[in-house]
Amino acid sequence: MHFKPRLIKLAMLSTLFVSVTCIAEEMALYPTGPSQDSSFVRFVNGTEQAITLTSSGAKKMVLPLNQAATSFYPIAAKSMLKGSFSSGKAKSDIALSVKPGEFASVIALTSPAGLKQVILREQPDDFNALKASVALYNADANCMNAALNVVGRAVNLFDKVPAGNLQRRALNPVKISVQLLCNAQKVSVPLDLGLLQAGQRYSVFVLPAKQTSRIFFTSDNIAQ
Amino acid sequence: MAASALLGLSLLVIGESHMSANDYLINPLHDELTKQGALVHSVGACGASAGDWLKTIQVPCGGDRKGSQKAVFKGRDATTTPIQQLIAADKPDVVVIILGDTMASYGKPFPQTWAWQSVTNLTKAVTATNTACIWVGPAWGSSGGKYLKSDDRVKYMSTFLKNNVAPCTYVDSLSFSKPGEWKTLDGEHLAPSGYKAWSHGITESIVNSPFVAARKK
Repeated sequence: MHFKPRLIKLAMLSTLFVSVTCIAEEMALYPTGPSQDSSFVRFVNGTEQAITLTSSGAKKMVLPLNQAATSFYPIAAKSMLKGSFSSGKAKSDIALSVKPGEFASVIALTSPAGLKQVILREQPDDFNALKASVALYNADANCMNAALNVVGRAVNLFDKVPAGNLQRRALNPVKISVQLLCNAQKVSVPLDLGLLQAGQRYSVFVLPAKQTSRIFFTSDNIAQ
Repeated sequence: MAASALLGLSLLVIGESHMSANDYLINPLHDELTKQGALVHSVGACGASAGDWLKTIQVPCGGDRKGSQKAVFKGRDATTTPIQQLIAADKPDVVVIILGDTMASYGKPFPQTWAWQSVTNLTKAVTATNTACIWVGPAWGSSGGKYLKSDDRVKYMSTFLKNNVAPCTYVDSLSFSKPGEWKTLDGEHLAPSGYKAWSHGITESIVNSPFVAARKK
């Protein structure tokens, strides 16, 4: 794990994209919370090769396959965030704003024209330091009714998640492996999620691949 | 509650405005914990949320009381002190965090994500120092006061904290009284009798906390 260089890159990226990272807090005599909730955005390489993420200020960051998702960066709600994904001559422009309390994932995907993107958004209300939280993000249009089963147990973690949608649920902090199913058919090999940590949030992405769908797993870290 | 139940324990107690004025928690709680044998350092910062205890920010008022000394109160020159800095200086056995009202967004939509991030960052900072911690949630106020504190929201805030402060032990201050039982000055800050009762409930909870109970064995 090349963790420190990664953190440095992430810190740089956070300054690239987010012109205003601080929440506009009221300075009343006794403030009881911010004027609006925090919002975050992350970028995900859902292609099968490294891509470059470029900010509107022309600064760049490579998203390799082994570190395909960035952390969530704080962003001021309702502000417009711009940039692009690129790979060779293929390019997909990024332009989005987020609502207060929203976590947006901008996912780059391969398209016949080169690159495209899908944006999946969630407004979690399940924060719990005693439980792990796992989401299934289905970003593969070819995977209808995505499901995740727990390997070795007759437990269905997620069921019938349409393409372009996500589901999230709280779990006890246990060690599990999962099997992806598309339209009730097993797809790809089981994925070991390891020992889930209480209070930690995770995402499993269903992504298109040359032959079939694939999945990858990441922790939903917040860039500090 | 046996006297000297906290003998030999060093406590760092931080909190919001409830810890920042003479008749508020900073004196009766500090005194009661001291009576139980603890060496106490109490620090208050008005309006400071959990995340504000990770940095130095200016706050409208604050208080500081160490051991047997008198509390020192500040006005607009008050600031927060990062929790890591306080822990490094005091080396407490237990950090007691009395926070809730500053994050409850009374009269506004509840900022779920901000509160989660703020609380989590503070609990992680404390536990990273291998210091035990106890989080004391908000008490009932009076609905409709100048800060718009409401019974529904304070109950929601308390449940939110209960779910999110682990590995800190949560102390549910709502269990110490009935809604409206403790008189308030402005809907949020309590009359002296309320702070005295709250101090007693907090002290009892600390004495009976898992950390203190484990220490007795």
